[in-house]
Amino acid sequence: MTARYKRELSALVVFGGMLAAVGIVAPSFFSAANLRDLAVNNAPVLIVATGATLVILVGQIDISVGSQFAVCAVAAGSLAKQGLPVPLLAPCILALGAAMGAVNGVLVGRLGLPSIIVTLAMLVAWRDGLRWATEGAWVQDLPPDFQWFGLGQEAGQWLIVGVALAVLLGLAWILRNLRVGRAVYAVGSDAEAARLAGLEPSRLVLGVFVAMGALTGLAALLNAVRFSSIPSNMGVGLELKAVAAVVVGGTAITGGRGRLLGTLVGAALLGTLGTALVFAGVNPFWEKALQGAIILAALVSDVALGRLEHHARPTPLHATARH
Amino acid sequence: MPDPLPSTPPPATEAPWRQRWFPNNELVLLGVLLLECAVFSLTGSHFLGRANAFEVARLGVEVGLLALVMTAVIVTGGIDLSVGSMMGLAAVVLGALWRDAHWPIAAAAGAALLVGLAGGALNAAMISRLGFPPLIVTLGTFSLFRGVAEGLTRGIENYAGLPPRFLFWGQGYLAGVVPTQLLVLVAATLGCAWWLHVTKWGRALYAIGSSPEGARYAGVPVARRLFFVYVLSGLASSLAAVIYVAHLGQAKSDAGTGYELMAITAVVLGGASIFGGRGTVLGTMLGLSAIVVLQNGLRLSGQPAELAGILTGVLLVGTILVDRLSSRAAPTLPRAAEEMDVKNSQVAVVCGTILVAALVVVAGNTMLVRSLREERRRPSEPAGRPAREGGAAAGADTRKPVVAMMPKAKGDPYFISCRKGAEEAAAELGVELLWDGPTDLDPAKQNEVVEAWITRGVDVIAVSVENEVAISTVLRKARERGIKVITWDADAQKDARDFFINQATPQGIGYTLTDEAARILGGKGEFAIITASLSAANQNQWIASIKERLAAKYPGLKLVAIQPSEGDRDRAFSETQTVLKVHPNVKVIMAIAAPAVPGAAEAVKQSGRTDVKVTGLSLPNMCKPYVHSGVAESIVLWNTLDLGYLTVHAARALAGGQLAPGARELQAGRLGRIEVRGDQVMLGAPFVFNKTNIDRFDF
Repeated sequence: MTARYKRELSALVVFGGMLAAVGIVAPSFFSAANLRDLAVNNAPVLIVATGATLVILVGQIDISVGSQFAVCAVAAGSLAKQGLPVPLLAPCILALGAAMGAVNGVLVGRLGLPSIIVTLAMLVAWRDGLRWATEGAWVQDLPPDFQWFGLGQEAGQWLIVGVALAVLLGLAWILRNLRVGRAVYAVGSDAEAARLAGLEPSRLVLGVFVAMGALTGLAALLNAVRFSSIPSNMGVGLELKAVAAVVVGGTAITGGRGRLLGTLVGAALLGTLGTALVFAGVNPFWEKALQGAIILAALVSDVALGRLEHHARPTPLHATARH
Repeated sequence: MPDPLPSTPPPATEAPWRQRWFPNNELVLLGVLLLECAVFSLTGSHFLGRANAFEVARLGVEVGLLALVMTAVIVTGGIDLSVGSMMGLAAVVLGALWRDAHWPIAAAAGAALLVGLAGGALNAAMISRLGFPPLIVTLGTFSLFRGVAEGLTRGIENYAGLPPRFLFWGQGYLAGVVPTQLLVLVAATLGCAWWLHVTKWGRALYAIGSSPEGARYAGVPVARRLFFVYVLSGLASSLAAVIYVAHLGQAKSDAGTGYELMAITAVVLGGASIFGGRGTVLGTMLGLSAIVVLQNGLRLSGQPAELAGILTGVLLVGTILVDRLSSRAAPTLPRAAEEMDVKNSQVAVVCGTILVAALVVVAGNTMLVRSLREERRRPSEPAGRPAREGGAAAGADTRKPVVAMMPKAKGDPYFISCRKGAEEAAAELGVELLWDGPTDLDPAKQNEVVEAWITRGVDVIAVSVENEVAISTVLRKARERGIKVITWDADAQKDARDFFINQATPQGIGYTLTDEAARILGGKGEFAIITASLSAANQNQWIASIKERLAAKYPGLKLVAIQPSEGDRDRAFSETQTVLKVHPNVKVIMAIAAPAVPGAAEAVKQSGRTDVKVTGLSLPNMCKPYVHSGVAESIVLWNTLDLGYLTVHAARALAGGQLAPGARELQAGRLGRIEVRGDQVMLGAPFVFNKTNIDRFDF
């Protein structure tokens, strides 16, 4: 049992160590209010990281999510301001995210372009397109029932965290038990072998990118409703946060190996680090350096656990056979 | 030593010349580049010309150095995301050793290069020795290097005042026209081309990229070659950092932010395969040129810079898409011999169509605008020379004066409201207003825009300065060419501008904020500051004034924390939540960046702490709900609409000669008479907005 979860364990050990350290220095870190705030603040990142796990498992990468996040958030605000009823917002924004994901998916899955290039192009294009459209202006004067979907703060917070966890657990169950979930691992391990075994890698990759887009839209919406106005520069650097959480959680960047449980630990570790440092009284200037060190430490701990496999480079979708 | 690659395929001497010289889509890129030049020479002012060509080249040097070595990295099938962060670290090391450790500048630059080597070696060891995926290793060092740079300088240090001998490498000209650093780039390009394309050493990298296993069986020491490539990447980053520092005249931890993406974009646009085994130095340089020329051309055509990002994205996908479609017959063997004729023409057609479609829109717009004003323009301007000498004198009668105004960041709501006021004044006075600047805080971008305006030949340049050292050289150059220079919102060095539109001194702001906090706290208690980024120059000046005021006047007030918000509302929100819990006695949150006040106020509101008040520096419209609900007690600011309005009025008066050194006052439209104190035009004292007056303002 422990052998199976070795990769997640190394992240969990670091996380536990950090919690223990901050628990000794500043026990008030574990107050209910702080834990609730941390959960609510990190739920949107967790949803994006969940999607990023799927994309990485299938052997691809998506670095355009930060820009898609911003587009979805601004669209959500604009639609609500136009008078779209709040319950209808969710399907609209999810569809918008899925559509943006589908652009990536078609280019990567159907046409076989390298995902890092496609999503790099989309990262720049969506961001600059949004800047062009909004000229940096915020969406303000939202209807009063926009914030927390009109549910009030307490219920709204529960809803956000609940949705994030439900998405994570639901997808984890699908990955583990359903045919389509296992296919993600098969395609991520070796697309050609999966094709010969009767799977359709290109369709699966398209589907995963659509899911990633929809999840990004969901995260953007859940993040937007925490406030009463929407800046147009949201989500800058979100893609790196998500990928870092996935990798720290033990998912192999080369695809085919990893679990959403690890992503949960990775997102929790990176998401609480900044706050823990403030509680511990550490200078905020060192936060970024520590984040980098944790990513490298997660890699090195793999060696310590003796589970290293040599993958010199990302596996392309149409990889030539490896010997 | 025995030949490591005895089975190198014979250099394709029999292949057609096109395949030999342009193995990827270099020809297409060349076409795109020529097309860009053709369109922009029609739409842009002074686009074609030696001076502009060299300025464009200067802007590409730092990214070019990164892109050259990135080509080698990508050819091996790897990637290096840490190059931009390494620039920040090397810049900081250079500055610290020179200023604080009193090393000679040459030794400090040498040490910076050594840091690059060491950082590169760290990447190299983890990738080639331990076999980790390059993407993850360099993602880690991407955070690590930048983080160490920020940690070492606490984000604040800004090493400036470097000796002219050193600055020559980034700002000087050889023989009067050739930018110095261009030599470095040319040398590096030739060196890299020779290394990658001629030596067995370099050819081995292609073998590694095609198949590491195969290369190993062929006798290539794969790990050693990879090690060398990543070390070289670190070295190139630090060299780029040295030039960047010389170019901007300052070293700061934010040097090179985002450069890794530009370098990768240039390499991939140049036809390199991200999976390795394919890519040329020529292609990379063409890719880089296509991007840089696009940005410069759009700017000279007066088009929004955002268009450059969108077009680059389209171009990137278009290039690889056509590349892939044309080689679809053999998707698993992408490097098999292909019919180059078909491929190249297809690529050319699709890319050309995409670009033409986009540029036609641009050209259409611009031609229309230009044809409307061309008649009133003096006909005898030699192209490529900013012939604006004495242009100001002609400003009053023959044609509309052109005022070019730059914010620190275009997307910032503060500057958006300034723009409204500026446009109001421009309409009133019949001035043509150009509004352009970086999308995010970026001193290097500000220089770029000013260079473009000098080339374009405007009458007045008005800049809100992000970094006074970095921009002063280029502003002086503008003055030498006879362009009037104004600074507004934040000043440059005194001899780099004619007048400064002073909306409020850092001292005035810091003191007013402190007085507000003291008033709310009743003279005693704890408060915390939420700032922009830890390296923001303005905010750091205000904080210094706040501390000064505290020491002098309010011994009962205690500043317990300064947390960064990175200009991000959501980050300000979570930082405020944390501060409230860690320091329960804090009764005032002072947020000193426009998006930080609503973020902090929302956090206080959601915490239910009615005993905590928010104050700070922000825009009335953003904060109205919080001021009315009482969460935010007050905000401090000047009237930003008036600031933009006054700046354009002053620019017009300066161009027309009504505002000259020694003037005591300025007639500024609806603002009436404005005091001129020495070389500063005074807008007035900062204003405190609160529940009673905030509804009277709409910006």
